[in-house]
Amino acid sequence: MLLAVVLLSGVANAAATEPEFALVVRDHRFVPDEIVIPAGTRVRIVVENQDTTPEEFDSHALNREKMIVGRSKATIYIGPLSSGRYEFIGEFNAATARGVVIVK
Amino acid sequence: MTPTMNGTPLHARNVTLSSRLRAGAFACGLCASFAASLAWADPDDYVSTPAVEYGERELELRYGTATDPGGSRRDAGSIAFGYGATPWWFTEVYAKFQRAGGGSTHYDAVEWENKFQLTEPGEYPVDMGLLVEIEAPHDRAEGYELKLGPLFQKDFGLVQVNANAFLAHHVRSSEPGATDLSYQWQAKYRWREALEFGAQGFGEVGKWDNWDPAHEQKHIAGPALFGKVGVGGRQVINWNAGLLFKLSNAAPDRTFRAQLEVEF
Repeated sequence: MLLAVVLLSGVANAAATEPEFALVVRDHRFVPDEIVIPAGTRVRIVVENQDTTPEEFDSHALNREKMIVGRSKATIYIGPLSSGRYEFIGEFNAATARGVVIVK
Repeated sequence: MTPTMNGTPLHARNVTLSSRLRAGAFACGLCASFAASLAWADPDDYVSTPAVEYGERELELRYGTATDPGGSRRDAGSIAFGYGATPWWFTEVYAKFQRAGGGSTHYDAVEWENKFQLTEPGEYPVDMGLLVEIEAPHDRAEGYELKLGPLFQKDFGLVQVNANAFLAHHVRSSEPGATDLSYQWQAKYRWREALEFGAQGFGEVGKWDNWDPAHEQKHIAGPALFGKVGVGGRQVINWNAGLLFKLSNAAPDRTFRAQLEVEF
């Protein structure tokens, strides 16, 4: 455990270098509803919920669940991923909040 | 220009992570200074994962049955309510029950479990969390049990691997003892949301600083299934079950364990 603390402390002090992508939740929809990212690369998706109600980014393909409170932002890290399509939904409004990460 | 991440100055984000890590290291050091014996883990034990879902509310049911080396059977179960109180803290309270041999089912203990997400999933090569449990048994002679340890998770494509290690000790016990070391692990292939399959294992090696001989240690492992089913709106049922077999002489011959979580 102490070794893990030391290792992660060192990593935490390193500057962030992942590519960043923006995703907006507006009127219970994701904008854009497609994000294209490079294969084999860890990326950072900053999700801004512009609605007043919470939304949950949910993707089995990406193995990610993240609550974003209304009028706030959250960061989701994904990858490195192999080429393909990875779907995600907004669990609170699954009928309309749908999107896909396309990895090329 | 000050480097930022998600609008937050990088140094501030690192302070938050470093603070969580220092708190975790202090808690682990504190636990290692105590001493008590740890009975074999309950057959309804489960593998913890480091991620916390903010605002999640869940009802949890657990059941396990184990056939001990002597042929006797031991059953355990629990019911719990859990809540994601913050983006990095999940707290859960359990009522635990047991039945040994042909006896009746009786109330065994109340447990307060706290999980702390130390890193954002995928931000670092390994996801990390910390589990801290306090158990107050019905039999006060057993003393209060404090258990804590790190939680690790890493994805290899569609394969998710978890590995955890715990130190446990009893306070105010009628019998002195030592701090014991246990572990748990699982690996699963995330085939479909409704069905994932893999394996799980649990074990105890004895005192953390003086392991028992191999024939006295307890190790079990076996296949496991996992799944998640939406039942309307935000309500979700998560389930998993494992059939575990002894890998050491002192371990139960067979253990079946299952867990059901209803998120609402």
